[in-house]
Amino acid sequence: MTALAQSLVPASVPVPDAFEARTNATFEALMWALSRPGTVQTLPAPGMKGLVEALVDRECKVFCDDADLSDFVAFTGAALMPAAAADHAFMGLDRAEGLKNLEQIPVGSALYPDDGATVVAFARFGEGQKLRLTGPGIETSVEITLGGLVPGLWALRAARSRYPAGFDMFFICGTSVIGLPRSTLIEVL
Amino acid sequence: MSIASLTKAWQPMSYGFLDASAKRELRRKMLKAIAVPGCQMPYASREVPMARGWGTGGLQVTLTLLKPSSVVKVIDQGADDSVNAASIRSFLSKVSGAAETWDTLAASLIQSRHRIPEERLHAGQILVLQVPNPEPLRPVEPNMSVARQMHADADYGRLWLILYEQIVRSGRIMEGAAYPSVVNGRHVMTPSPIPRWDVPKLHMAQHLTFLSAGREKRLYAVPPFTKVEPLVFSDVPFKVEDHGALTCHRSGVSGFYMNEIPQDNGGSAFELSDSHLGIKAIRKAEGEADRIGATWYRNGQLA
Repeated sequence: MTALAQSLVPASVPVPDAFEARTNATFEALMWALSRPGTVQTLPAPGMKGLVEALVDRECKVFCDDADLSDFVAFTGAALMPAAAADHAFMGLDRAEGLKNLEQIPVGSALYPDDGATVVAFARFGEGQKLRLTGPGIETSVEITLGGLVPGLWALRAARSRYPAGFDMFFICGTSVIGLPRSTLIEVL
Repeated sequence: MSIASLTKAWQPMSYGFLDASAKRELRRKMLKAIAVPGCQMPYASREVPMARGWGTGGLQVTLTLLKPSSVVKVIDQGADDSVNAASIRSFLSKVSGAAETWDTLAASLIQSRHRIPEERLHAGQILVLQVPNPEPLRPVEPNMSVARQMHADADYGRLWLILYEQIVRSGRIMEGAAYPSVVNGRHVMTPSPIPRWDVPKLHMAQHLTFLSAGREKRLYAVPPFTKVEPLVFSDVPFKVEDHGALTCHRSGVSGFYMNEIPQDNGGSAFELSDSHLGIKAIRKAEGEADRIGATWYRNGQLA
């Protein structure tokens, strides 16, 4: 084996560094959250920064209405964009302004469903509005309660969802995450 | 901000072979694929040390998911010990430190070429299917821009026409593998060239399935508890292969999907396609304590 070929062979069992381990675990939580809507998955760290690390880079257009997080997003090389042009949105949905932004979020089209954005927001689990979820990932139906969200959110989501067009949502509460893909039908109870 | 904060220490290889930006792109597309079950999502499809068409699509999804605690199983047409399966499996463990297994029940991550194991996959397991041709409309519409419009319009009439022509010409549906199936009542997907026998295993399953085509640069997913319905006519029901009555000549097990082995006398012998199920059955017959999990089929019938 030449010296170069030798150097390409890992000397020992590869070990992920802290960044790789964290982003891998974050994505796994997001993947299962979206695969089983309504179930609570656990992120390795609280807050939205982990999601930014795991998903966002310079290929992304990101809407972010939080100055602190905006700096963190900009550090990844992603372009900070208004809501109407974003493919990822890290936004507050606890106020009326959030609803205005959500009205602008791209939903893609039947031709290009992948243009629908990923929306990430904080919420409080186990209190507030009761929702019944049905659809892929749910055997029959599941009921969850999400609090700390602006009234009219679910009506807006329903109005803007034209499956397969739509946006996919992640709600974060501490280190917990709930995913609501566009394929989930939400009944407001 | 310093230069050091913008760079990383040199390492001979990224963990899990793919670099961080490749993984992020795959993660974004995998999430979209889950959100719209059965809908093909384009992705960049990086170079991996394997020729396109040999499972590079599945490999990239698997590499993105790998972590040191993963237990990987790789199947090639049901077998764990074929050159292709063994090479991919050893590559996966070499670049990630993940454990290797042949046992379906022990695996957390199963990459497969054209079979779904006979033992039921449980919640928490991920099945990654390698897909050579992800476009179910290709036989009826070679122009992929037009095919995209047909997917957008849910215009799948011509797929039924193919099935109708097969019935008229041959008296039965001749689609042996990659049977077109409607996912979540909306998108028709090709479930990779798995035999018809395996298609019902995707319907309302416990596990998560990714299907990824590296050469064609598209991936799609079937989340748990998602409807996967093969295209059928109301008066011509979907039928799986007639393997229920065949017996494996090595393990003596019957009621599963079999490989046909031609014999010198012109006849055929059969052996279990899911090779490790056969190994387990033989070990069990020899008195070893080997657990065979619940299977999708029992006595040749879907349980």
